[in-house]
Amino acid sequence: MTRLETRGVPLGPIPARAGIGLRFVHHDALLEERPAVGWIEAHTENYFHEGAAPRALERARANYPLSMHGVGLGLGSADGVDRAHLGRVRRAIDRFEPALVSEHACWGHAGGEFFNDLLPLPYTEEAVALLASHVREAQDFLGVQLLIENVSAYVTFQHSHLSEWEFLAAVVAASGCGLLLDINNIYVSAQNLGLDAEGFIAGVPAESVREIHLAGHARNGAILIDDHGSAVCEEVWQLYTRAIARLGPKPTLIEWDNDIPALATLVAEAARADRVLEELHGLAA
Amino acid sequence: MASLRELQQSFAAALRDPSAACPVVPAANLSIYRGNVRHAFRSALEQSFPVIRRRVGDDYFGQLAHHYRGQFPSRSGDLHFVGANFADFLADHLRGGDYAWLADLARIEWSREEALISPELPTVGAEVLAGFSPEQLADLVFTLQPSLHLRSSSYPVFSIWLANQAADAPPVDQSCGHECGLIRIRAESLEVIRLEPRLFSYLSALAGGAALGEAMDVAGLDETALLSSLGFVFSEELVIAVSLTT
Repeated sequence: MTRLETRGVPLGPIPARAGIGLRFVHHDALLEERPAVGWIEAHTENYFHEGAAPRALERARANYPLSMHGVGLGLGSADGVDRAHLGRVRRAIDRFEPALVSEHACWGHAGGEFFNDLLPLPYTEEAVALLASHVREAQDFLGVQLLIENVSAYVTFQHSHLSEWEFLAAVVAASGCGLLLDINNIYVSAQNLGLDAEGFIAGVPAESVREIHLAGHARNGAILIDDHGSAVCEEVWQLYTRAIARLGPKPTLIEWDNDIPALATLVAEAARADRVLEELHGLAA
Repeated sequence: MASLRELQQSFAAALRDPSAACPVVPAANLSIYRGNVRHAFRSALEQSFPVIRRRVGDDYFGQLAHHYRGQFPSRSGDLHFVGANFADFLADHLRGGDYAWLADLARIEWSREEALISPELPTVGAEVLAGFSPEQLADLVFTLQPSLHLRSSSYPVFSIWLANQAADAPPVDQSCGHECGLIRIRAESLEVIRLEPRLFSYLSALAGGAALGEAMDVAGLDETALLSSLGFVFSEELVIAVSLTT
């Protein structure tokens, strides 16, 4: 942990409270308003380079525990881990010293083309072995435990024969990673594909869950689209409450990436998550 | 049973071509992924080239993004790099047509994108020259701010870029011809400045590593311009180091 002490800034662990996803438009407001949120999370790829954005994040992290959340590694890609991208993640970790580092249970590139999307994996032993080996490769290189997040899905592979939570539990067992449980993604996938959201919450290994995401989605006919463009819906709040009752208090992030509202709106959503945590478990300091 | 690699290859093919088969259900929902991928690419391109988007409109920009992605698909999980070849693509795609100047406008916008993610290093002032004798001046080499980009075009692309910072900009008279200038970050702000051609040549030579005397020769500046040309690089806070050529 010497790396965390080099700047003399009080950092993590990320408390079991609500935090907010930090987006560029809120960099100034966060510093001026200093909202009482427990922590912040930044998209790792947004801070790979020099310039105003990383300077703003350095100022923000002096006031809040920081988690860094990647969207670009595509660790489930059969073609392998992009070592150049992994190197940039490591430089970001060295620079910003996050208390948690996360990525997704997905793939993102094939045949040299990157799709810049969180693409679904088949839930098979082969995919468990491949994702787990890439997670281990990344963890060894980065020197941190990764949390792996369940993604929203719009299709299932005919080859899948594990449930999603069995798949994730097997990846945890084979790689030593933790889980980032996205409650909205569980809900969206369950609605779209006729899956069992309650079974997911009941089946996931509680001790491996180290963070929770909450976000809004859009409806397009019968399909729910995970667009992070609105408030968390009531069904997802109810699922979250049952998840917290079963899993115990967990750091909970409010994500909002499109039609981003004023910072105060995110802070209000975070306060609601804090109330759930407090009512069920008492609020962590 | 298909391997994971084969499944991802068939999924990738279905992302490029709606008629390609992929063993997922419901297969119709692959269109959501196709839309997401298209949107991510186009949004990244739009972020890097807002003036091009403004000049050509949404529909045509979407067509350009589609053709560009066909030739230059994303090669990284970092969307910053998506636009790296867009100016070259436009030069090829629009060659000889009425919109060939868009390629040079794109080079300014890509320089802006590169400048925005460059570090700003501490500058040195003109007092650093006191450490050298007058005879050494011609042999001085200047290291300039890494965010500095120098661009020239046979079209008035700097005027076009500057005019199009607001919506509904009037068209710029294309007949006003050649322009050159610089793009850089100073005190956390973007600067896009037109330069007089000789000053541009002089700066380009310095940026290319030429010593002061050589840069002045290249730019056709005589000794009477020594102070003003030196004054420019220092007053604009462009210099981060000065050394003697070896």
